[in-house]
Amino acid sequence: MKSIMTCKGIAKSYGTGDIVELVLKRVDLEFFEGQASVLVGPSGSGKTTLLSILGCLLAPSEGQLLIADDTVNFSDKSSLTEVRRQKLGFIFQHAQLLPFLTIEENLAIVGRNAGMQDDDIKQRLDGLLHRLELKAMRYKHPAQLSGGQRQRVAIARALLHRPSIVLADEPTAALDWNTGKTVVELLLEQARMEKAVLVVVTHDTRMLPLFDRILSIADGILSEQAQTAAAENIFYTQP
Amino acid sequence: MNTVVIPVATQMLFHNHLRFAMTVIGIAIAFFLAAAQIGLLVGWINTNSAIIRHAGVDIWVMAEETRAFDYGTAIPRHRVQQVSSVPGVVWAEGMLMGWATWQHPAGKRINVEIVGLDSSHAGGPWQLISGHIDNIEQPETVIIDELSYDVLGLRELGDEAEIEGNRVILGGVSRGVRTFTAAPFVFTSIENALKYSPYYKDEEIAFVLAKVEPGVDPGVIRDRIAREVANVEVLTTAEFAERSVKYWMLETGVGITVIITAALGLLVGAVIMSQTLFAITQDHLGNYATLLALGFHQKTLRRIVLTQSLSLGGLGIITGSILFILACNASASTPIPLETTPLVSTGLVVFSLLCCIAASWFSIRAIFKLDPVMVFHG
Ligand SMILES: Nc1ncnc2c1ncn2[C@@H]1O[C@H](COP(=O)(O)OP(=O)(O)OP(=O)(O)O)[C@@H](O)[C@H]1O
Ligand SMILES: [Mg+2]
Repeated sequence: MKSIMTCKGIAKSYGTGDIVELVLKRVDLEFFEGQASVLVGPSGSGKTTLLSILGCLLAPSEGQLLIADDTVNFSDKSSLTEVRRQKLGFIFQHAQLLPFLTIEENLAIVGRNAGMQDDDIKQRLDGLLHRLELKAMRYKHPAQLSGGQRQRVAIARALLHRPSIVLADEPTAALDWNTGKTVVELLLEQARMEKAVLVVVTHDTRMLPLFDRILSIADGILSEQAQTAAAENIFYTQP
Repeated sequence: MNTVVIPVATQMLFHNHLRFAMTVIGIAIAFFLAAAQIGLLVGWINTNSAIIRHAGVDIWVMAEETRAFDYGTAIPRHRVQQVSSVPGVVWAEGMLMGWATWQHPAGKRINVEIVGLDSSHAGGPWQLISGHIDNIEQPETVIIDELSYDVLGLRELGDEAEIEGNRVILGGVSRGVRTFTAAPFVFTSIENALKYSPYYKDEEIAFVLAKVEPGVDPGVIRDRIAREVANVEVLTTAEFAERSVKYWMLETGVGITVIITAALGLLVGAVIMSQTLFAITQDHLGNYATLLALGFHQKTLRRIVLTQSLSLGGLGIITGSILFILACNASASTPIPLETTPLVSTGLVVFSLLCCIAASWFSIRAIFKLDPVMVFHG
């Protein structure tokens, strides 16, 4: 299996001086092509922090992040943007589509920003809108869509430029169970189809059986659960 | 790159139609006010130097330290011969310019500027709507401008009034001769003018107007005349026009006032723009953060803001310019015309666009401070 992303001894602490909070103690992880992982842990355990580091949005205090064998240079903002532009796709808790653009435009600008040709963008857009059952929404504005539809657009936006890694932080938290499940299933299906590494943070244990790997953080330590046992063995309280 | 910047920039602007429209209107009004101020200034400048520029000569000879055309003072008339005998001068003519009191037929007394013209009428009116320029050779006959009909109380050829107790007869009407001082110009021959102007003795005039040989630098002839003719000051037409304009604009404070008012107008425009742009940017900071997280570069976002400022500014300037052109046309036949020149217009637009760029500074700074990590925290 092809290795896409590697964390080597990543640690993260917030604050300086006397009030330092060590959120991640030491994370060593490797992600392989087409692999879908779910990241769980109690509130405040550092899930978003880890996802932000994987997403080249936050610098770790220690350790290295390798994407496709290249060490990410966290001190150079512009090179971080470059990695995000080419290799990463994001899905947020609230879709965070641009309200003033149509669905089509929301997607197209990501393709153009990634340097894709117009024909390619068009094909990709048609394909994704079809697969995500969004064809009728193409010329609508985000405000005219339901929450679930918006998250489906967010999935299309995250995948459009063929990133090798897709990161999602609680993409279903704002949706009801059925809608959320459909969204996650679609996300998994599409990511697998694209052979992208997928990392999803969720509080919903019912989702766990859908993923290839289950990663859990507690007290700054990341551990991996065996998939079969996972659903029953993880207990934590939701905020 | 523009296929990202332009749609995002413009759609974000149009998203709030009302705010967009109000801002464009605000900028348009600010630009119009500034343009109108400067248009008045240019109109005044053109008015003030109109006789000088329309005279069709290259050199003006006058008493030393003459501040402006309107302050012409007496020099001997034989200076005309002296000037015309200077090598390089094709011909030279005299001109008298003096203040006098005009007696309106209805009884009012008005200050006028008498312009006495020599044999080929250099420096006279450049467009006549009735009568003939040669009529001024007749005794007591004058030409006035159509703008001064009411002030001077004459309308038909042959109408009569008085200057300093002497009869005047209307022999022609000119168009486009505006006065910068409140006193209308009255054109006649030097001979007639001498009777009307109490400050001139016989054989005195105010200016010598000279035409130089084609292709010869007027500056060279100016220096030559200055060396050969005593007790006069010699200026090229451009220099004299500029001196007259400078006197009225700078020494009287008129110009400074106008320039300050125009700058204030543009400042108001820039503030309106800056406020709106900043409000829009603030409203969309979350969206900008999303774009940053999605891999849009800082410079792309800065271009979005800049495009917005230039679009708002551009539309405001276009709207303001239309208002200004309408105002120019409407004022063309009034004593206070709004006018402009290509250089002035270009300068004003460029300066306004620079104001727009400056006005985007606060917004760009706000974007500069954005940390895309906030996207995961809502
Ligand atoms: N910018 C920051 N500055 C200081 N402390 C922070 C910052 N961001 C997060 N933290 C702290 O780091 C810890 C982990 O936060 P993080 O957001 O990663 O948790 P999480 O697992 O995503 O929680 P949740 O499930 O509630 O989203 C928390 O204790 C939080 O207070
Ligand atoms: Mg979180």
